[in-house]
Amino acid sequence: MGLIDKGKIPKPLTWLLNTSRKYSLWVYQWGLACCAIEMGAAFGSPRYDVMRLGVIPFPASARQADLVVISGTVTDKMAPPIRRLWEQMPDPKYVISMGSCANCGGPYWDSYSVTKGVDQIIPVDVYVPGCPPRPEALLEGIVLLQERIQNEDMASRWRGEPMHVVA
Amino acid sequence: MSLTAHPAPVDWQKASYVAAQAADSRINVELETEGMVLNIGPQHPATHGTLRIVVRLDGEEVVWAEPVCGYMHRGYEKLTEVRTYPQVTTLINRIDWLGHFANEVPFILGAEQLMEVEAPPRAQWIRTIFFEMARIANITLFLGDMGVQLGALTPVFYAFRDREYVLNLMEAATGGRFHPNYDRIGGLKEDLPRGWVDECHGAMRKVRDFCDQLEDLLMGNEIFQTRTRGIGVIPASVGLDYGLSGANIRASGVDWDLRRDEESPLAWKEVDFKVWTHPDGDSFARYWVRLQEVREAASIVQQLLDGLPSGPIMSKVPKIIKVPAGEVWHHTENPLGEMGYYIVSQGGLGPFRCKIRSASFNNVSILPWLLKGVYVPDVITILASLYFILGDIDR
Amino acid sequence: MSSPETPSSQEAPEEAAASEESAPEEAAAPEQADPARQALIDGLRSKLGDGFIASEIVGGDLWVRVDVSAWRTAVETAKTELGMDYFCFLSGIDWLPNPSLSGREVWDPNPNEASEPVAEGGQMQTGIAGGDTRFQVFARLYSTRAHVGITLKADLDDENPTVPSITSVYRGADWHEREAWEMYGFNFEGHPGLRHIYLPGEFEGHPLRKDFPMLAREVKPWPGLVDKEQIPGEDEPAEEEAASS
Repeated sequence: MGLIDKGKIPKPLTWLLNTSRKYSLWVYQWGLACCAIEMGAAFGSPRYDVMRLGVIPFPASARQADLVVISGTVTDKMAPPIRRLWEQMPDPKYVISMGSCANCGGPYWDSYSVTKGVDQIIPVDVYVPGCPPRPEALLEGIVLLQERIQNEDMASRWRGEPMHVVA
Repeated sequence: MSLTAHPAPVDWQKASYVAAQAADSRINVELETEGMVLNIGPQHPATHGTLRIVVRLDGEEVVWAEPVCGYMHRGYEKLTEVRTYPQVTTLINRIDWLGHFANEVPFILGAEQLMEVEAPPRAQWIRTIFFEMARIANITLFLGDMGVQLGALTPVFYAFRDREYVLNLMEAATGGRFHPNYDRIGGLKEDLPRGWVDECHGAMRKVRDFCDQLEDLLMGNEIFQTRTRGIGVIPASVGLDYGLSGANIRASGVDWDLRRDEESPLAWKEVDFKVWTHPDGDSFARYWVRLQEVREAASIVQQLLDGLPSGPIMSKVPKIIKVPAGEVWHHTENPLGEMGYYIVSQGGLGPFRCKIRSASFNNVSILPWLLKGVYVPDVITILASLYFILGDIDR
Repeated sequence: MSSPETPSSQEAPEEAAASEESAPEEAAAPEQADPARQALIDGLRSKLGDGFIASEIVGGDLWVRVDVSAWRTAVETAKTELGMDYFCFLSGIDWLPNPSLSGREVWDPNPNEASEPVAEGGQMQTGIAGGDTRFQVFARLYSTRAHVGITLKADLDDENPTVPSITSVYRGADWHEREAWEMYGFNFEGHPGLRHIYLPGEFEGHPLRKDFPMLAREVKPWPGLVDKEQIPGEDEPAEEEAASS
């Protein structure tokens, strides 16, 4: 495949690869606070049934995951383990920040022990607002992420360039 | 199988294992292991949230255990000092995030006691209803989750399914699925919507069905019984010494429930309910007591719905709430145990100091004592059966 | 049901009002007879002697202030002789007035017409059962049989707040003392291992002290104050709306 060596992929192949990737997301659940329960309701309950979106919520370790959902308050004490988790995940990896606390500190914006947003530690792809967001909101976040994966240019990632989304 | 009280069981499995090991001293010498330090957490599927436990093992036996908390420390006690009283309610909802509404009540009652206002009867009844519904929403998840910790995945799906009925009702009345923020100093935010009472009756029936289902599915299960009976026994005196409360101490045979034993403006005195205790003090007893508690809570809710008085839901309070100087300690029987607020007011818009006494902090502080000498798989059983919420430990 | 001596909440306001006017020493004799709590006061007074400083019964609850040297004895007496089998909590209070906390500067919508100005380092206003110093350690004990609780308080030195540990009396006090050490810098003599419980090891300062700066607030003003425009259709001034909603 000379094209790939040059860093180009034919469009149908990109479409195929991205479609396959977006419907087999292994999600690692990094449940921290209240949002963890709503995440559990979205991932583990029969009513919301996340698997219909092609999301598999129970990888045994972060090393098998494509996506991590950071749900809940990130404290300064918790920040190093989160960074380490993110570093352990194989590329391509995605992060959903769920809830106000993980987005920006939320109601604990003036606390002495809370990190004001997980994006200070790791890059975040999708922010899901709410305190806590409803399970439907998280599902919407996942669908948004899938759209993004669908439009991703795989080759740029292979070339080691920062990811950019095609159209 | 009888589910009533029974004498403390002998752990035959453990006893025979120890005897066999001791008899074969040759194996002991050969297989002697150096101590190993096992780090469970801070993110582990077996801990609800981010409790980290460092255990030192000798073979399969824990010789030393130290919980490391603080991964969820959000500084509530400092933040309450820079919030006004109505804003504090929003914050403290999130301490025990499964028993959402129950967190608000002791704080509001304490502030009301300082302000010398009292909510009208209808508000008190609705508060009690929501308090008990928070208990149901909280403990049903425990009942399902305990199965997951022991390797049975099904119950947690049932728990999530039936919890939704309660959460839907919460949302219908308060606008919040999770954090209702429904309690106000002097009453409630809004009245119940039309048709709510009937639906609530239906939901309570489903909750009882859920309890029956779990009793058949999980508690009657032989594996479940073997893995929980005689595991993690807490004698009553030790439990009280460590400040255990709620179902954890009632499972050790202490007949103490603040709903019944303390005078409260809430409507518990109007209803009939039984405080269940269990003499064993082991993991099974804690599970059993909680299961009965959910049933009682459903029955309390139904009784209160039948006798719900009419009238206003808000008494007259000033628009800007200033609480007169003073100190008050108010505690209630929350789903996880005794929760209380020690409010020091100096007449300002916010508390001068608010000590939050949360149940899980004390409940978990027994772990170093309790985990000594147990096997690794039992660590998970004990953790699950003590039932803590991280926000409630770390605040 | 509950113990007869627990007064109902209707009676509580009268007591609270009465005790505010009277000095702690006088309030030791409450207007309403409360035999169970009075017995606790007498038991502690006879055991501690000079270590017993003040006591108050307010709103159906009991506060006793003891000297810091008698702290351990008081807790021991409460457990062994007065039947307080249940350890509820232990914590501390910092009475230092700080206008930037506790509502005034942060919350008064019109800081210029603040009705009760509190200057930094101004007069300390202490709570029930009084207090002489900046720091106080307090613990709550409870009897699960009699359903009576007691709050014990002790004044600590401003510069070197040291208090005997009660972990050998109540084992549950271990974590609470670690928390108070971390949050207030109290030194518990005889505690098996005072180390951080909540915060990471490199954290500096004692967060619950009143002079601990809340950096987030100093960097960025409270966003709620920005939102001061009047809500359409409301007659009330926006300031009241902001504070009461």
